[in-house]
Amino acid sequence: MSRFIRTCRYMLLLIILCMTTGCWDRREMDDLALIMGSGIDLTDSGLVEVSYQIALPTGIPSAVKSGGSQKQVVVISAKGNDLQEALGKVQQQMSRYVYFGHREVFLIGESYARHGLNQVQDLFTRFPETRYNSYVLTAYGATAKEILSAPYPMELIPALAISKIQSSRQSFSVKFDEFLKAFSSPGTSPVTAAIRIIHKGTDKESVAIDRTAVYLGNKLSGFTEPSELDLLRWWIGDPYRLGFTIQAEPEEKDYKGTISVKSSESRVHVHTKILDDHPEAKVIFHTVVKVVSNNTRLNLDNEKNRKNVEQQFSRQLQSRIEGLLTHVQKEMRSDIFGMGEEIHIEHPYFWKKIQDSWSEIFPAMPVQVEVELQIEQLGKTHGRAYPKK
Amino acid sequence: MRVNKRATDPFAKKIRALEPEVNIPISEQIMENKKGIAQVFANCSDLVVRELLIFGSMPAMVVYLDVLIDKQLWDDGFLEPLMQEAAPPISDPSRLEEQLKFGFSSIVQPAVVKNMTETARRIVSGETILFIEGSAQAFAFSLKDKLNRALDEPSTEAVIRGPRYGFIEKMSINLALIRHRLRTPRLKTETLSAGSLSRTDITIVYIEGIADKSVVEELKRRIAGIDMDSILESGYIEELISDHPYSPFPVMQATQRPDMTTGSLIEGKIAVITDGSPMVLILPVTFWFGFQSAEDYYMKFMFATMLRWLRYLFAFFAMALPSIFIAVTTFHQEMIPTSLTLSLAAAREVVPFPAIVEALIMETTFEALREAGIRLPRPVGQTISIVGALVIGQAAVQAGIISATIIIVVSITGISSFLIPNPGMSQAISIIRFPLMLLAATFGLYGLGIGLLVILVHLVNLRSFGVPYMSPLAPLTFNGLADTLLRAPWQALKKRHKHTRH
Repeated sequence: MSRFIRTCRYMLLLIILCMTTGCWDRREMDDLALIMGSGIDLTDSGLVEVSYQIALPTGIPSAVKSGGSQKQVVVISAKGNDLQEALGKVQQQMSRYVYFGHREVFLIGESYARHGLNQVQDLFTRFPETRYNSYVLTAYGATAKEILSAPYPMELIPALAISKIQSSRQSFSVKFDEFLKAFSSPGTSPVTAAIRIIHKGTDKESVAIDRTAVYLGNKLSGFTEPSELDLLRWWIGDPYRLGFTIQAEPEEKDYKGTISVKSSESRVHVHTKILDDHPEAKVIFHTVVKVVSNNTRLNLDNEKNRKNVEQQFSRQLQSRIEGLLTHVQKEMRSDIFGMGEEIHIEHPYFWKKIQDSWSEIFPAMPVQVEVELQIEQLGKTHGRAYPKK
Repeated sequence: MRVNKRATDPFAKKIRALEPEVNIPISEQIMENKKGIAQVFANCSDLVVRELLIFGSMPAMVVYLDVLIDKQLWDDGFLEPLMQEAAPPISDPSRLEEQLKFGFSSIVQPAVVKNMTETARRIVSGETILFIEGSAQAFAFSLKDKLNRALDEPSTEAVIRGPRYGFIEKMSINLALIRHRLRTPRLKTETLSAGSLSRTDITIVYIEGIADKSVVEELKRRIAGIDMDSILESGYIEELISDHPYSPFPVMQATQRPDMTTGSLIEGKIAVITDGSPMVLILPVTFWFGFQSAEDYYMKFMFATMLRWLRYLFAFFAMALPSIFIAVTTFHQEMIPTSLTLSLAAAREVVPFPAIVEALIMETTFEALREAGIRLPRPVGQTISIVGALVIGQAAVQAGIISATIIIVVSITGISSFLIPNPGMSQAISIIRFPLMLLAATFGLYGLGIGLLVILVHLVNLRSFGVPYMSPLAPLTFNGLADTLLRAPWQALKKRHKHTRH
């Protein structure tokens, strides 16, 4: 019996404990404004503008009621002197609590990126609700608000479309934690995917992600070209099914002279060495590919032809990589490849001496590129699909 | 040990005072006895006092309660031999006992009664008392009506494969059902009785040499200590002899299946059969017993193992699914996949209540529907299910009062609670669900975690007649896991069953 009383006593204690604590972070789902994507821009007058793409659950079609004509998202934005002020202004417009738990993408407007990202970095490392596995992208030739407002026909929620493109292995993607890590590391420069609006002003308006934004320090220093995207994926991204096309023979009337391949496995080895207190690097690109289209007179069943094509591929890819390297290293002067980290790992004592001046050393560092390409599969048919006439 | 407060219950004393204490010896005069009986059984219209001459010339008196007597047996097994038998060579009444014991051509055996208290007790339990002129002893003949019903399949523990017999209300039949399966003299049955008014027979059944003798002794001690007016069902005993009467978890298994009982006896457990109840108690049991069905041992071990895991999983759902739902949707929305969040948010958009209120309404409604379905006569019970499914399910969602997701959660929870084979365990888990929901609604997953921890602490503290409730998991014995986490093949289980014996 005394046990029963004791239990009651503890229960009472527990109930008092429940009733007297002040914190109550219970929030019903219908009290939340679910932020799907957010963006940050710099206006011409120097104010910070934040924009949110908010999902409207009433517009989501369900079995009970069909959404149809209702809008699925709404884009809300506000301006302020700094990020926190703008955030506060957004909340003032909202009947619901701004909830970041499901933010899938974070967009940085081009002008803001060129201005510098210190505020972003601070807010996002401080704010406890930040989701670190959301994708971070830089708007190319647009503001973040424009991108967030752009429709995407295939998905109900455009921000989810961006997130889906990014999570497919064919896209170059950077998540927030990776981005912040690159920020804080002296041996790597941050890089993000770059997103732009295509078919602007037509009814086919949509978005595409075909460039990367290269940062130097906390400022955007430039964008890579769409043709360089697969090379970057090979080097620093997820090298899954890279596709390359080369001109193997000169173009003529019947044949374009091109061969296209898709990689089945790829990797990159970086070797660094120190010569007279100057770092040098050698980067070896390995890949095993299968031929997906052959628009030449060459029969790849023939080993001599195949070796020849492999060599041409290696040579042409090498020059493309060297082009990319010149673009990034010499023009943008940004070490997005993490060469500094390589030196840090391979020569830690030397790195200590140079790490403070790395941003000056890197653009001048000689980098030797080597490509090892191997054709492994020729596809279902080895020769031509049509008979020779 | 728990102090039994009922020992000093004034009401029990009062009841006892009402019973006539006729502690007088039996007289040699029939008329004296008749007076005594008439005094004790005043106003009992079903009492029959019949005077007759037995063995041709001996004056005697028969007393019995008419309603308790098997008429067939009375005629053929008692009256006929008594009246037809030739007069014994000796006419000395003192040698009658011998004569009745050894020279009585009937299947009914007499017992000697010496005083009126015992006489009265035997009469109310359905025996027939024979008084003989000139003898200070009476003879009791058991001519009880069997009050049988047909053996049918126990509705609470249905199986696809396995015997169809279930226990019934008659103790002797129930004992016979066990004896038929265990043909060994080591099967011991000890009968006690409890209840000052009901005098219910309670039989303890165990296999000598397998069951723990000390548990048997302790059980007998506890049953003897029961101080109640009546024991109408084995549920009384379960509560009165339990180690933890305030725990929601059953520390005894109530079953209606003779095969289950027999299996448990072989494992060294003890069965308690209560006269008048088809539910037999088995003890000591562990937590895992609540998730085992008799059929587990009749089907392929792989499938039985899968079923056990299914039951464990759904028992967890039955206990915690609504609370997980409440915690996640009101505190930890970031844990839900994005597209699911949108669907959940869309479903919740028009609902006026917070998730906890919604869940409480639906869970309470579900429990009410279940209870109504059990209590109502069968034809009406079906109406209830239609009303439940249509009104609560469809209409409430369309009216926008309840979200569709909570209906799904409650349905899964409901189905889960029906998956637990032991009704006692199912009730325990159903009742735990509500405090967990409140905890989840106040503290989120943190509160749920604390609630589950408290339950775990409680479970490992429980003991059923000295056996830790969570064994063999805590304390861990690897041998025992073969029949809890798995249902190992019989070749492996043979060893384990030896292991649990004492």
